[in-house]
Amino acid sequence: MPRRKDFKKVLMIGSGPIVIGQACEFDYSGSQACKALKEEGYFTILVNSNPATIMTDPGLADVTYIEPLNVETLTKIIAKEKPDALLPTLGGQTGLNLAFFLMKQGVLKKYGVEAIGASVEAIACAEDRDLFKQAMQEIGVDVPKSGIATSVKEGLKIGLEIGFPLILRPAYCLGGSGGGIAYNQEELETLLSKGLETSPVHQVLVEQSVLGWKEIEFEVMRDCADNVIIITSMENVDPMGVHTGDSVVVAPAQTLTPEEYSNFVNLCKRIIRRIGISGGGANIQFGQNPDNGKIVIIEVNPRLSRSSALASKATGFPIARVATKLAVGLTLPEVMNQITNKTTSFFEPTIDYCVFKICRFTFEKFPQAEKVLNTSMKAVGEAMSIGRNFKEALQKGLRSTEIKRFGFGADGRDKITDLMLKNPDSLLLKQIKDKIRIPNDERFFYLRYALKAGLNIDEIYALSRIDRWFLNNMRELVELEDKIKRYGNESSEGELKVPAELLAQAKADGFSDIQLAFILNTKEAKIRQLRKKSGLKPAYKLVDTCAGEFNAKQPYFYSTQETKDEARPSKNKKVVILGGGPNRIGQGIEFDYCCCHAAYALKEEGIDSIMVNCNPETVSTDYDTSDRLYFEPLTFEDIMNIVEVEKPDGVIVQFGGQTPINLAVSLRQAGVNLLGTSSESIDIAEDRKRFKQMINKLGLLQPNSGTVFTFAEAQKVASEIGYPVLVRPSYVLGGRAMEIVYDQELLERFIKEAAEVSGEHPILIDKFLEDAIEVDVDLIGDGETFVIGGIMEHIEQAGVHSGDAAMSLPTYTLGPEILKKLRDASYRLAKELNIIGLMNVQYAVKDAKVYVLEVNPRASRTIPLVSKVIGVPLANLATKVMLGKKLKDLGFSEEIIPPYVAVKESVFPFNRFPGVDVMLGPEMKSTGEVMGMDTDFASAYIKSQLAAGQKVPKSGNVFISVHDRDKRDIVFIAKKLKDLGFNILASSGTASVLEKNNIKAKVLPKISEGRPNILDLMKDGKIQMVINTPSGRIPRQDEVKIRSQVILYNIPYTTTIFGAQATVNGIEMLAKKDLGVKSLQEYHKMKFKKIK
Amino acid sequence: MKAILFLEDGKSFIGESDFSTEDLGEVILNTAVVGYQEMITDPANAGKILVFTYPLIGNYGCAPKFSESGKIWVSGLVMKEKSKIYSNWQAKSSLDDFLKAHKKTAIYNLDTRTLTVHLREKGPLTGIISTLEFDPQKLADKIKKFKQQPIKTWLPEVSVQKIHSLGKTKGKKIAVLDLGATCGLISQLEALGFSLKVFPYNASAKQILAAKPKGLVLSSGPENDCGLEAVAQNIKPLIGKLPIFGAATGCQVLAMAAGAQLLRLKLGHRGANYPIARPGTFKGEITVQNHEYVIDNNSLRKIKEIKVTAYNLNDHTIEEIESKKLKIVAVAYNPVSAGFNQVNSILIKFSKLLSMRR
Ligand SMILES: Nc1ncnc2c1ncn2[C@@H]1O[C@H](COP(=O)(O)OP(=O)(O)O)[C@@H](O)[C@H]1O
Ligand SMILES: Nc1ncnc2c1ncn2[C@@H]1O[C@H](COP(=O)(O)OP(=O)(O)O)[C@@H](O)[C@H]1O
Ligand SMILES: [Mg+2]
Ligand SMILES: [Mg+2]
Repeated sequence: MPRRKDFKKVLMIGSGPIVIGQACEFDYSGSQACKALKEEGYFTILVNSNPATIMTDPGLADVTYIEPLNVETLTKIIAKEKPDALLPTLGGQTGLNLAFFLMKQGVLKKYGVEAIGASVEAIACAEDRDLFKQAMQEIGVDVPKSGIATSVKEGLKIGLEIGFPLILRPAYCLGGSGGGIAYNQEELETLLSKGLETSPVHQVLVEQSVLGWKEIEFEVMRDCADNVIIITSMENVDPMGVHTGDSVVVAPAQTLTPEEYSNFVNLCKRIIRRIGISGGGANIQFGQNPDNGKIVIIEVNPRLSRSSALASKATGFPIARVATKLAVGLTLPEVMNQITNKTTSFFEPTIDYCVFKICRFTFEKFPQAEKVLNTSMKAVGEAMSIGRNFKEALQKGLRSTEIKRFGFGADGRDKITDLMLKNPDSLLLKQIKDKIRIPNDERFFYLRYALKAGLNIDEIYALSRIDRWFLNNMRELVELEDKIKRYGNESSEGELKVPAELLAQAKADGFSDIQLAFILNTKEAKIRQLRKKSGLKPAYKLVDTCAGEFNAKQPYFYSTQETKDEARPSKNKKVVILGGGPNRIGQGIEFDYCCCHAAYALKEEGIDSIMVNCNPETVSTDYDTSDRLYFEPLTFEDIMNIVEVEKPDGVIVQFGGQTPINLAVSLRQAGVNLLGTSSESIDIAEDRKRFKQMINKLGLLQPNSGTVFTFAEAQKVASEIGYPVLVRPSYVLGGRAMEIVYDQELLERFIKEAAEVSGEHPILIDKFLEDAIEVDVDLIGDGETFVIGGIMEHIEQAGVHSGDAAMSLPTYTLGPEILKKLRDASYRLAKELNIIGLMNVQYAVKDAKVYVLEVNPRASRTIPLVSKVIGVPLANLATKVMLGKKLKDLGFSEEIIPPYVAVKESVFPFNRFPGVDVMLGPEMKSTGEVMGMDTDFASAYIKSQLAAGQKVPKSGNVFISVHDRDKRDIVFIAKKLKDLGFNILASSGTASVLEKNNIKAKVLPKISEGRPNILDLMKDGKIQMVINTPSGRIPRQDEVKIRSQVILYNIPYTTTIFGAQATVNGIEMLAKKDLGVKSLQEYHKMKFKKIK
Repeated sequence: MKAILFLEDGKSFIGESDFSTEDLGEVILNTAVVGYQEMITDPANAGKILVFTYPLIGNYGCAPKFSESGKIWVSGLVMKEKSKIYSNWQAKSSLDDFLKAHKKTAIYNLDTRTLTVHLREKGPLTGIISTLEFDPQKLADKIKKFKQQPIKTWLPEVSVQKIHSLGKTKGKKIAVLDLGATCGLISQLEALGFSLKVFPYNASAKQILAAKPKGLVLSSGPENDCGLEAVAQNIKPLIGKLPIFGAATGCQVLAMAAGAQLLRLKLGHRGANYPIARPGTFKGEITVQNHEYVIDNNSLRKIKEIKVTAYNLNDHTIEEIESKKLKIVAVAYNPVSAGFNQVNSILIKFSKLLSMRR
């Protein structure tokens, strides 16, 4: 049926900041949707609070709002823009929930907006536990048995009826806290009382456990003519009990018989029809008993999801694009398959390879968190790999995660060596068994240890419940490793004796050069040479949706070991863009945004763009972002193989974050032409010693520092420059292993940790500048002209990682003198490093002096934000500059100062890691960001808080407890709160300072001293805001408890005095006026001030 | 041991085999991810060298209940990786053991993707799998000799020898002309509650009518068989007399009997993901297909009573025909069951046709 013509304007809601469980896959689906709507001639209005997205680029939707995602704001936008329709299914759970509330609260009805893609009924049927259960039973689909308990007695009754083991989930508790698995009555009782205690509504869901069952997912689509297709099946290698978002997943499912498969398909069709999706897709999750095939349904997501992004990338089928077209009334047979360009979207993709998805975790960032995987998702990113067999895909997948592993162990980085595994003692065996029994982020490596320690497949299966088929494939890898090892060298200088055939087999099973070098006791380069000599190089095969049945027009590539290379290097001028790999804390969507812009810029210049990346969530790995896409790990070996096939004119390493930057020097040494800033300059910026020399040469300031390799050296340097000091390794991103150290004892511990992270690179010790203002500067240069993109002033003091700090563009307190110094320093640095492309500098301003903290000779996290605020696509210009264009000719030669304010705020994953301290420090912890924009700072700041999900109280009780050095500043803040009508509660020290200043505050006892204490009040909903700045180097236990409880009960909080100030100003502003909404396009029409 | 797949155009692929073998036949592809046991035991694939485009074969093992017949009919199997173990609660043996029991071997560890692209570009090719001979000239000669052999009909082998009865004795009586029927088709007909009389391929119209069936099913089976023309002549008198359902090759036979011609495709439709669409609507279905011959639309158009009710959305070839007047439905695709105890909707349609009054 042709597209609907009864509406013109479509509103889309994005998914907001990147958080665990909701990452850039929704930028990918949202931008595909925007393009699809445009293609069909609709006028699109987009709302998303996340400035780092491609979808919020001003060109993508017709009108773009970067505003908080809540009902009030959306209502204002709807009133203003008067859309005809709302597409709720592409913005993740956030978008869907918001659309649902807009419907429920009658906003859509009031303004005559129709929800397309999924109706209220459909959403309710999938999301509401009871409705869902009923609907499934109606169509004969089993659900795990469950009941809701409000008392221990009731819970016991439900539990005993269902039978053990049981899954307990307290209602309204974030991050699975208070829940657990009960294996017997005793455990059930304990867990029930704990769960009921934790749950604010005193409810616990008691559910039949299907732990250890197979977890199978399907991606299904349905159109308004009732055509249903299955995009792909996916099988979780980690069985039920590990969230699918954390599981290793393969596509297609590997261990289903045709009968089982068609049963699942049949159920999927029944389910999607019953839920009532009539123009879109759904993700359906099942559990299946491996012993008898019994199937239960776990959940249905009636929208685009993380899994659908994965399924899209795994098969080549653009689910989001097609879902959007279906939402506007088209049917599957009417939508062309752009990959083959011959067939339509009405077919089921079939594949001739194995896809492997593996997650990236960041437990190291949250040392207090338990390192286990369970039903609450913890992964911050994922990598996808493709191989012709499971073994190859597995090895490529493991090396794609960028955890410095280069395959399934045997890469010289195993914690447990072969020697130890030969005769494992019982302690080691117990450790290995525990690690494969209790799911965790290292389980795969422990499976290898278990195999090496002689456990057989059945034993390992009994412990892990990972299907024997997967385990046996792993065993084959271990066997092959042992076979290769027989040809190992005594000395690393020896000639290689490994037969070419065995080498070929190793390559076919995905062994990397690094692994082979380790196994054979030689150097990576030698393996490379040997491969070349024996003509062993990868072939590139296509992802074409049809297993080769049709000749594909827009395919993408993966490497494997086969006889024929299907790569299609063109004769055109071409440039390779290296992407950022899996999302992690410190490297996320911002870098993908830049890579995409590089591809767009190349297209504009008529140059072929070749993207290399392995992150399935991204826009950069969309089939139509670049001319050619290689879905490959970002390692030296994998990149060089592509370079040798494509022979590009240049390679861009500036945009993918630290991943490609770290490879710059070795790529350059291998003769690769790096575009833009030279690898020499990169090395100067990254190497602390060389960097220091440059700073001195330029006459700039830097915190006193020293470069060390050992603890002894460190001790000497630290006492010279004086405590507190900051310890940090070079060549890392996101402040990994960086700490503020106040004395010698702590110094020793941290040096050890830092040495492990940084490997061969040196460690830097800095004087820690207390109470300094931090500033970020983004700059673009063409070697002659250098222009500042934006100067951003941090709201929190230096010491809070720039990736975690809130910041304001333009600056809001810095005087002209300081600004001049900042500009001057930035230009001098850029000139000295001969920046061609982008550069980011971080400064600390203290006592009117400007200190350089760090120079990043690459795109920074703030590039998308700055580009959007000033209305200049910096990454695009930077690409063109790298190709030899001049900024003057590109029309960007003056710094722009916008007449409005944008505030970036960060979003943290604390709710996923119960018990961790929410305190901010020099180690980055945030996963995502939002932006608030308005004409004044206070409004922009409060918008950023709202967008970040902080509630902003207008009245009630505020608890204040601050560090001594903040006690002066808190007086003013408390006074203001009092004036605004808040009651103040405080810890004794803070209270006495306030009393002295005539501010009444109720003193609360220490947690151990009496009740009701602050924890009780928080739990009872009597605290509306918490201001708590850390009291010293080792936080007091009370504080940690308070700070982790604010997360549990979602209470607005701030841990810095500057944050508190800004928040209170914002609250004051909110009391006076209502926040307005304004689109990016409207902002850009305002008059800018320019500075030469 | 080392093995070779050699194609008549001279292209060859080296792989491995578990024991020695020499198999000849037309090389065909199937793009389905699961269903290896069904495919190799389907009489429709008799004499073919079957290439699985999905690279991992054998993962879930084999079980007697998944066989489409009592025999492996393919001449050879070609796959990328033969799984070393199988893992599924339904499995009773490994694919290896299953093959061994039927004295078959597979060639594996070869680049099936390149082979697929080659066949897509070259069209139908005959090939030989050998562990004994690697000399291209000798292999080419063997293929030549094979192709010179008098054309053989598979029908006597794939069909039942004698009339026999299946299903509920009390149900509606349906005649099944066995052209290489699969267990899947038979069990769906049984599930519909019919009493089945299965006839050998060469049964005459008279013999069939003598059993007084309420309808006739022409089963699937090997295509392009030289014996099919005679079958078409045999059943011609039944058109209009009995409601008839034709499945895959049965559909082709029915079309031939009605006077239509067949065409050969450059690359057959073989897989589980083929879209069909109903003319004049936006509604279609995803079907399992296994055919290389299609009804020539020009010749069918001349037969006024028969309408095309579904065509393949990719290449617009005919996939389903129907005549209300003659009480005929026939599908070029495989009317497979949609899951455990499910019956394909076209069979339900046929069963409704039976109870309709003229
Ligand atoms: N009854 C159960 N028994 C065991 N594991 C379960 C059960 N229900 C869910 N799980 C596990 O918890 C994970 C998350 O559950 P799900 O309902 O899909 O929540 P989400 O909305 O976070 O995706 C699933 O992926 C599965 O591994
Ligand atoms: N000498 C210092 N004094 C105060 N704070 C500092 C100092 N050096 C670094 N920081 C803080 O640590 C954070 C991270 O340091 P940085 O060198 O930028 O690491 P990364 O490479 O992770 O960005 C900075 O954003 C800043 O807040
Ligand atoms: Mg789920
Ligand atoms: Mg930094």
